[in-house]
Amino acid sequence: MIPTPYFLQACLTLFVITIIAATARAISILPPRPVRRKRARGTPTSMMMVLGSGGHTAEMLAIQRDLDPSKYTHRFWVIGEEDWMSRAKAVEFEEGLVEKVMKSQRERKEEEVSASKELGDGEAKFWYVGPDSYDIFLVPRARKIHQPLYTTPWTALLCLWACLKFLCHCKAAPCPKTTSGFTGPLPVYAFPDVILVNGPATATILVYATLILRFFNFRSAESQGGMRTIYIESWARVKTLSLSGKLLLRVVDRFVVQWPDLEGIGGRGEYHGVVVG
Amino acid sequence: MTEQSIRPYLGRVCFVTIGATAAFDSLIRAVFEDKFVRALRSAGFSDMIIQYGANGKKLFDQLSREYEARPPVSPFCINGFHFNTKGLGAEMRAAKGKGHKAESRGIVISHAGSGSVLDALRVGVPVIVVPNPELLDDHQTQLAEALAKQDYVVHGKLDDMTGALREIDVLMWRLKDWPPVNSGVHRHAQGVEGIADEEVGYLDGSKE
Repeated sequence: MIPTPYFLQACLTLFVITIIAATARAISILPPRPVRRKRARGTPTSMMMVLGSGGHTAEMLAIQRDLDPSKYTHRFWVIGEEDWMSRAKAVEFEEGLVEKVMKSQRERKEEEVSASKELGDGEAKFWYVGPDSYDIFLVPRARKIHQPLYTTPWTALLCLWACLKFLCHCKAAPCPKTTSGFTGPLPVYAFPDVILVNGPATATILVYATLILRFFNFRSAESQGGMRTIYIESWARVKTLSLSGKLLLRVVDRFVVQWPDLEGIGGRGEYHGVVVG
Repeated sequence: MTEQSIRPYLGRVCFVTIGATAAFDSLIRAVFEDKFVRALRSAGFSDMIIQYGANGKKLFDQLSREYEARPPVSPFCINGFHFNTKGLGAEMRAAKGKGHKAESRGIVISHAGSGSVLDALRVGVPVIVVPNPELLDDHQTQLAEALAKQDYVVHGKLDDMTGALREIDVLMWRLKDWPPVNSGVHRHAQGVEGIADEEVGYLDGSKE
């Protein structure tokens, strides 16, 4: 059966409308995004971090060395499936947080460790450390070292699928007690509030996964205003961006560089000195 | 790292690291060169420790044999290991030596990978950064140049390692401390956590 001209016309019109609508939608979800409501301490806040491998992992952990678990009450670590070194380092980092808190607790002669009360400047503060306060997600690597280029799209897709899956299975940060006015029912799943990434391919794919979820406003991914993405360009990049940096320049919420020559790149690069120091 | 760290070194220590990811055979060859070893020895070095990476053992063994067959530069020890997953801090500190006596202050010769260079800077040991010319992207050279320009490191070139050694012995006493002191208009000292705070809405900005 030959399609009638009307049918073809309808198809074409529909196609054009879809393209226009999709473009408008894409523009609306790209930065700048509206500023979020002020958040009080004690509000469950989750942070997702990607540990790539080797140098990327080292930089990410150096960036996070002053992480305040009373602000970022739940951490999600995204790590390559076979990357045992990064996995060990993430666990070591979390254990370090426990130790830090225990030390400050000992100093203040308090007993409970997890989610216990600490008085500082008259303000009640809660610590969220220990195995319940973090999750590790393992993803297939987007591209293994020395992997032939032509098989990369396939592994990248597998990685994207894994990212979408675990983004939708992030448990909502628990909130046992709070003094800071956070009320209301707690959802079972909640997208991470903020996502920190640097150079590895997996991180790039994760950011694109958040864009897909926000594009379709899947489980109110967009209307909740979560999944703020922060990209930190490697300290090793002095004058030019890495491939990941180029791919993410226009889509992340904040773009941090570590050398003055890159400040303002693409109208977006922010320079705050060396952050991995 | 086992015996070497326990054994007291006779003189200054040179620690060479090529990183965990990529091979860097030309750097291993360069530090085994007779001219370079003699330069090290005459500058008061007694030991060279080489981290040669997962695939560098064969080359290291071969060069070690050739080294031992040469007329001896004594006393000078060359040891090697492939990698230490717990990091290279112990070797870096061994190279740094103790105190400020010139006889004990060693150096690190590092590939231009950011992790290794940062480790050395944090430990505070003088470092010669040698970019790998075989890598397609030359951002490693840019990093070495930028750091050398600010007197944090010496930018070493494979064909002139003895020159780099001379340079670092001069620069050693005025190499700048790491991390850079925050100053100037750009430094809000807020770091990445400050940015994350802004993004999620912790706007109070209070630092306890």
